[in-house]
Amino acid sequence: MPSVCFYFQVHQPFRLKRYSFFDIGRDHFYEDDEKNRLILDKVSEKCYLKTNRKILDLINRHKGKFKVSYSISGTALEQFENHRPDVLQSFIDLSKTGCVEFISETYYHSLSFIYSKEEFRRQVEMHKEKIKTYFNQVPKVFRNTELIYSNELASFIEKMGYKAILCEGVDRHLGSRTPNSLYQPAGTLKIKAFLKNYRLSDDIAFRFSDRNWSEWPLHADTFASWVHKVAGNGEVINLFMDYETFGEHQWEETGVFDFLDHLPKEILKHSDFDFKTLSEAADQYKVRDIYDVPEFTSWADAERDLSAWLSNAMEKEAAKRIYQLEEKVLKTGNKDLMDVWGKLQTSDHFYYMCTKFWSDGDVHKYFSPYDSPYDAYIYFMNVLADFETTIEEAVNQVKPVKKAGKKKEPTV
Amino acid sequence: MTTPPLSDLIPARTELPRVLMLGWEFPPVINGGLGVACHDLCIAMSKYANVTMIIPKSNPDFVVKNLNLIGLNTIDAKTLRNIGHADSYKKVKQVHFINTHLNPYYNNNLEPHHDLQNLSSQYLKTIKIGNETAEIFQIDDLYGGDVIEKVTIFGKLAAKLALSLDFDIIHAHDWMTMIAGMEIKAKTGKPLVMHIHSLEVDRGGPQSKGWVYQMEKHGMEYADLLMPVSNFTGHVIHDYYQIPWSKILPVHNGIRPVEPFKSEAMFKEKMVLFVGRLTRQKGPEFFVDIAEKVLQHDQNVRFVMAGTGEYFNPLLERAAQRGIAHRFHLTGFLNLDKVRKLLSIADVYVMPSVSEPFGLSAVEAVQFGIPAVISKQSGVSEVLSGSLKFDYWDINRAAGYILSLLHDPVLLENVRQDAYKDLKNISWDHSAQKVVNGYNAHHLLPVMA
Repeated sequence: MPSVCFYFQVHQPFRLKRYSFFDIGRDHFYEDDEKNRLILDKVSEKCYLKTNRKILDLINRHKGKFKVSYSISGTALEQFENHRPDVLQSFIDLSKTGCVEFISETYYHSLSFIYSKEEFRRQVEMHKEKIKTYFNQVPKVFRNTELIYSNELASFIEKMGYKAILCEGVDRHLGSRTPNSLYQPAGTLKIKAFLKNYRLSDDIAFRFSDRNWSEWPLHADTFASWVHKVAGNGEVINLFMDYETFGEHQWEETGVFDFLDHLPKEILKHSDFDFKTLSEAADQYKVRDIYDVPEFTSWADAERDLSAWLSNAMEKEAAKRIYQLEEKVLKTGNKDLMDVWGKLQTSDHFYYMCTKFWSDGDVHKYFSPYDSPYDAYIYFMNVLADFETTIEEAVNQVKPVKKAGKKKEPTV
Repeated sequence: MTTPPLSDLIPARTELPRVLMLGWEFPPVINGGLGVACHDLCIAMSKYANVTMIIPKSNPDFVVKNLNLIGLNTIDAKTLRNIGHADSYKKVKQVHFINTHLNPYYNNNLEPHHDLQNLSSQYLKTIKIGNETAEIFQIDDLYGGDVIEKVTIFGKLAAKLALSLDFDIIHAHDWMTMIAGMEIKAKTGKPLVMHIHSLEVDRGGPQSKGWVYQMEKHGMEYADLLMPVSNFTGHVIHDYYQIPWSKILPVHNGIRPVEPFKSEAMFKEKMVLFVGRLTRQKGPEFFVDIAEKVLQHDQNVRFVMAGTGEYFNPLLERAAQRGIAHRFHLTGFLNLDKVRKLLSIADVYVMPSVSEPFGLSAVEAVQFGIPAVISKQSGVSEVLSGSLKFDYWDINRAAGYILSLLHDPVLLENVRQDAYKDLKNISWDHSAQKVVNGYNAHHLLPVMA
């Protein structure tokens, strides 16, 4: 009985302001509050509230037979908390249906696993706490930022107690095998890997509104018929995508909500098919083979590697510099400074610096709040220059003599 | 002297489109930006078209391969008058270029000339060749004196000459050749393309609405297709001259390849360079403001301005007033070799132009491996993705960019490498192809039998 596993990624970064060279040493507040609120409001109205309402309606309509999983980054949750409690509440409402699972990721939606395992662990734990607080669930499934994945990550996550991990079904590693089964990550014992079915996922996430696509306009019955073809040849159909697909990347006018509205009914028309949360599917199905990914893969760009964040010298320099601060930041023991540091690690900052297709004006440009990748880098490095000074000062103020009974006031 | 048969002036008929170009500046008479651009475009186009170029002045010693170059100073005007009259069809006389410095006689009659029979002008000279007298178009300076009369006479003579030539399409360059282009279109009915390198609105600002502006507006309305050197200029044409976009096809300029070299600087400070005329259009005063801002944060930088113009003295004063004269240098006019010498030691190139149709100098800087900080109000910013761009009035942003480039080797190298990649797409061959494809796409060429 094959199961459709929907997993939606919800994420909003704290975008940095156009922080000029001349702000260094003068301005210690780095975020572009106005832009962040503006985007949050826009996406809340166009996507989060509408789609949550739709999902809740579908769960009720299908009497618990429609199930989905979410990962919501800590930076997104924090922004909901501060500015859109209504959105947060609508996710809490979903969590109470018993049909929605919330899974783990790094709090700051960061690249930390690549640079510091300790920082990575800190962020995963932070995120786990947040999920427990709001949704009363203890995540048992993990997904890393933008499905960045490798054998090493799977082992690490297994040791942290997770039973499953998500990744991209990358052709060069999958070969002729199907992504529609659970796999055993090479070098692990028990943890199971869910592989994104990128063809079916991208039909919704990318091609849905493409008028040049031979399948346009896509209707739920057609899509369900493609899903049904898996019958007898797989156990899980992993439809992984950004939640913002609904209403934001694909506007309401494209009919994406109608599509979503009809999809569960169409899928369930085939009595062998059902919907499962990731944990349920991990419990139910056995692994079919070993999935061996020695180098990092991801779900980003055509390359499905790290090049969306770490392909040019600027990205590498910025990432190196931010992680070099780890020891000093931790030494300050200052929660606020640690939080600023964490937010500077959010992968989006590096994504904006990408020059891979810069001249062609690609998807990186669509998401970037800046005029150019150079601007993204320059503002980030200016911020970092200021932050480094703040950290130096804070470290020098930490008295190593005895344990401070009281925390120092934050300097930012 | 022997008169070459007229057929020598006419390119052989092939399947390639036959283009009659109308130029004003042309090497070696003037080596300004326009002349070089026209020259290089013509050469590149000769692969895709048969090009005949009419210019006011040519030097017979200057031969350009694959290009029929006709200087009006070598054509006898009296003979031109007879073109179009029944049996004197093939009597165009080509005469030798004579470098004469006769004082032009003054002609009070500056009314528009409707007929060459009555044409007389201070710019038509009678010279003696053997026993015959010939009347030729002669101007010593392309832009001095009564330019309006010069372009008018050029237009009349070029139009007459064109009647004896066989071509498919007219391709004029800037306002100086617009009268010629319009006259030829009116007389022959051939489609007219206007290449726009620079406009009065760029040079004089948006309030410029004088004779040249009117000329440009009329000419561009009359033309069938406009080829500005950038989208930026396309917008100027659309916004300030009210020409519909359907008639506008931007064609970016190319660049001549160079062999870049590095030289030892004569001082230990980093060097930020400006190259260009010191006029309103180039925004030189912003360069002073940017320099002041940078120097507040880093004294180890020198700012060098290469070029001359009416802003020279005010800029000197401005730099002195701001107390940065010890780090600010005005070189005056420099020839190409000296400019290249500066490029070979510069660390950052800055182009704060207020309205720059293209901005070839920024590409030259890139050829020398110098990162370019350029105004968004420039055509070149459309082809140099590897550059840092600012609104010309945004001093802080430009200064920030310069400081970042000077202090961050990672940024500098990244911009440099990206700009090198851009260079691959900046070539006159690309431009030439786009021009000829443009003729076709706009159905301006006769359908081949």
